[in-house]
Amino acid sequence: MKLLSSFKKELILASRGFYFYVELIFALVILVVLLFAIPQNFSSTSTEYLHFNLPQEGREIFTNNILENDLDGESEIVEIEAGGKTFNAELIVTDESEIYIVDSEEAVRMLADSEKVIGAVIELNNNNQLHYKYYLQGYESTRFKNLISILFNESTDVLEERINNQDVRPLSTDYEPLSDRENTIPPLVAFSGSLMGMFIMASYIFLDKKEGVIKAYAVTASSVWQYLMSKIFVVLLTSVVSGFIIVMPVMGFRINYGLLLLLLLTTGFFASSLGLLVASFYKNLTNAFGVIYLLLIIMMVPSIAYFIPGWDPFWIKIIPSYPLLQGFKEIILPNGDTIYPLIVSAGFLAVGIILFAITNIRFKKTLSV
Amino acid sequence: MMIKNIWIIFIRDIRVNTREFMTLYMMIIPLVLAVGINLLSPGINDTSVNFALVENENPEQAAYFDDFAHVELFSDQQRVEDRVRSRDDVVGILPKDNGYYIMTQGNESELVLEYAKLLNVLYESDVQLEDARSEIIEFGRTVPPLKKMLVNMLLLLISMLAGMLIAMNILEEKMDQTVSAINVTPTSRSAFILGKSFTGMFVALFSSIACLLITGFYNVNLGQAALVVFSSTILSLLIGFIQGINSDDAMEAAGSVKLMFLPMAGSIAGYEFVTGNWQIFFYWSPFYWAYRANDMILSKSGTWPRLILYIGIILAICGAVYTLLAPRIRKGLQ
Repeated sequence: MKLLSSFKKELILASRGFYFYVELIFALVILVVLLFAIPQNFSSTSTEYLHFNLPQEGREIFTNNILENDLDGESEIVEIEAGGKTFNAELIVTDESEIYIVDSEEAVRMLADSEKVIGAVIELNNNNQLHYKYYLQGYESTRFKNLISILFNESTDVLEERINNQDVRPLSTDYEPLSDRENTIPPLVAFSGSLMGMFIMASYIFLDKKEGVIKAYAVTASSVWQYLMSKIFVVLLTSVVSGFIIVMPVMGFRINYGLLLLLLLTTGFFASSLGLLVASFYKNLTNAFGVIYLLLIIMMVPSIAYFIPGWDPFWIKIIPSYPLLQGFKEIILPNGDTIYPLIVSAGFLAVGIILFAITNIRFKKTLSV
Repeated sequence: MMIKNIWIIFIRDIRVNTREFMTLYMMIIPLVLAVGINLLSPGINDTSVNFALVENENPEQAAYFDDFAHVELFSDQQRVEDRVRSRDDVVGILPKDNGYYIMTQGNESELVLEYAKLLNVLYESDVQLEDARSEIIEFGRTVPPLKKMLVNMLLLLISMLAGMLIAMNILEEKMDQTVSAINVTPTSRSAFILGKSFTGMFVALFSSIACLLITGFYNVNLGQAALVVFSSTILSLLIGFIQGINSDDAMEAAGSVKLMFLPMAGSIAGYEFVTGNWQIFFYWSPFYWAYRANDMILSKSGTWPRLILYIGIILAICGAVYTLLAPRIRKGLQ
C-alpha cells in the first residue's frame, strides 16, 4: 500500500519534470526515423572496376555475360575520375553491384586505390589460359583472398550448375526473415528503453541524495526499498510506454505483446537495479558517470554481433545485452520461439532481484542514518 | 590578469578532478575502448562462413575448408545439428551416401548459403589453392573500414564525454552556489567558466590523440585530428553549457544527454548508410561534419582547405546556436 502511494507520488513528480517527456519525445523521434528514414530493406550494392585485357571477341563474351544481369539489359557509357584523371567506362548495374568496365589496367589500379574497392584485370597468360589480377586494399582477410584466388579456376557455367545441384537440408522451413527496418527495432528498444534505465535511475538517486530525501526516509514509516522500488516503477513505466510507441506502429498486431511487456519490465528492472547499485558506490553523478558510461559501451558491443551473425565469439554471449537483443528479436520474429524470451526474462528478473537486494543493504547502511 | 585567473582555475580543477580520480578515469575509459577496438576488429574483419563438421570423418576436407571458412569440429552428427541450431549463423556439412549435404537452420542469409554451397562445390571439384591462376596486388592498407568507423565514433564520443564532464562540473558548482560566489571575487564569471572548460578540452585532446596512436592511426595527420577534436569539443561544450546551465538538477541534465545522443547517432548513420543526395538532410548537424572530417583524416585523404571548410561549418553552426541562446546562458549563470 505504501509502495503504491509512493509510486503515485513519484509519478506525479515525474509528470511535472522534464525527463518523462524527453523519454516520450525520444520514442516518437525513433518511430519517425524507423518509419520514414530507414528503408524496408537496405540496398547494398558493391562497386567493382574491371578491365579485360583480351582480344575483342573475349572482351565481348565477358561483357555480354555480365550484361545479362543488368537491370535494364543495357550498359551506359560514363566518365569517372581518379587521381586527377578522367576515364571512360561502361557501367553495368545489377541488383547486387555496379560494375565499371574500363579500358586500361592503370584505370583499374587508380580507381580501386582511390575508391577503396576491388579492381580486377582479366588477361591471358603464356599458356593462353585466363589469368586474374586482383587489386585489393590490403586489409582483406586471408580467407577472402584465398577464395577469390581460386574462384575462377573452374568455368562459371560449370560452377553455377553444380551450385544449383547442391543438397541443402534446412532444419526448419517455416522461418520468415525480418525486413531490415524490423531488424533494427531490437537494438533501438533495448538501448532507448531497457538499458538507459540504468543511467536514469542513477541520476534520480543522486538528485534525491543531494536533497536529502533518502535520509528523510529514515524517519518515515516507509522503508528504503519501497522508496527505491517506487522510483524503479516510474522508470519501468516510461520504458514500457516508449517501447510500445516504437514497436506497435511498425509491427502492428503480428507479435505477442504480453511477451514484449514481460521482457521490457524484467530487463528494465535489471538495468535500474544495476544503475542503483553503481549509484550506491558514489557520492554524485559526475563520479558515477564514468562507470555507467563504460557499462553502456560494453552493453553496446553485442549489437555488432547482432548485425553480423557470422561473428559471434563466446565471450560476447556473457554480456547481458546479448540475450536481451536476441530476446527482443525472437518476440518480433514471425514464428519466433516463445520459450527463449521467457527464459531471458526469468534470468533478468532473478539477477535484478539479487542486485536490488544488495543495493538495498548498501543504501540502508550508508544513507539511512 | 584574466588569463592568469583562467589558468589558476584550470590548475585547481585538474587538481580537484584528479583527487577524485574523475579526470583520470575519463582519460582512461577511451583508452580502454581503443584497446577493445584493437582486440575486436581483427575477428570481425575475418568474418567468413562458419562450418560445423564431424571430427575425424574427413580430416582432409576439414583442412581444405579451414583455408576459406571458420571450421568447428564435433564428435558426432547430433552435436553438429545442435551447433547449427544455435543463435548464430553456422552451417553443417555432413556426409551422405554419395558425398556431402549442407545442413542449415533455415534462417541464414542467402549470402551465407551461397558461400557454403560454393565452397562445397570447390571442394568436390578438387580446386586447390596451388592451382590458382591469379595474382593479388595490395595497396598496403592495414586498417579495415569497420575499425575506422569505430575509431571515428570513439573520437566523437570522447568530445561528447568532455562536453558532459564540463556540463556536470558547472552544474555541481551551480548547485554548490559557487557560480554566484564568483560574483564577489576579482575573477569574472566568464573566466571561471572558461577555466572550468579547459579541463574537458585537455581530456578530449589527450584521449583522442592517445586513442589514434593505440588504434594504429599513428601516420594520420595528428594536427588535423587535433583541430577536429578541438572543434567538436567546442560543440559538446556548447551543448554541455546549455544542459548544465539550464538544468536545475542532474535528472534534467541526464535527460538532455539522451537527447544529444540522437543527432550524433543519426549523423553517423546518415553519413555511413544514406547515399548521395540524401546526405543534404544531415548538413544541419555539426556531428555530421565532425564525423565527415574525422573520416577524411583517418582515410588520409584530407586536404587542409576542405578540413578548414568542415571545421568552419562546425564553428559557424555552434556560433549561430550560441548567439541564439546567449541571453539564456547568461541568465542561467546568475
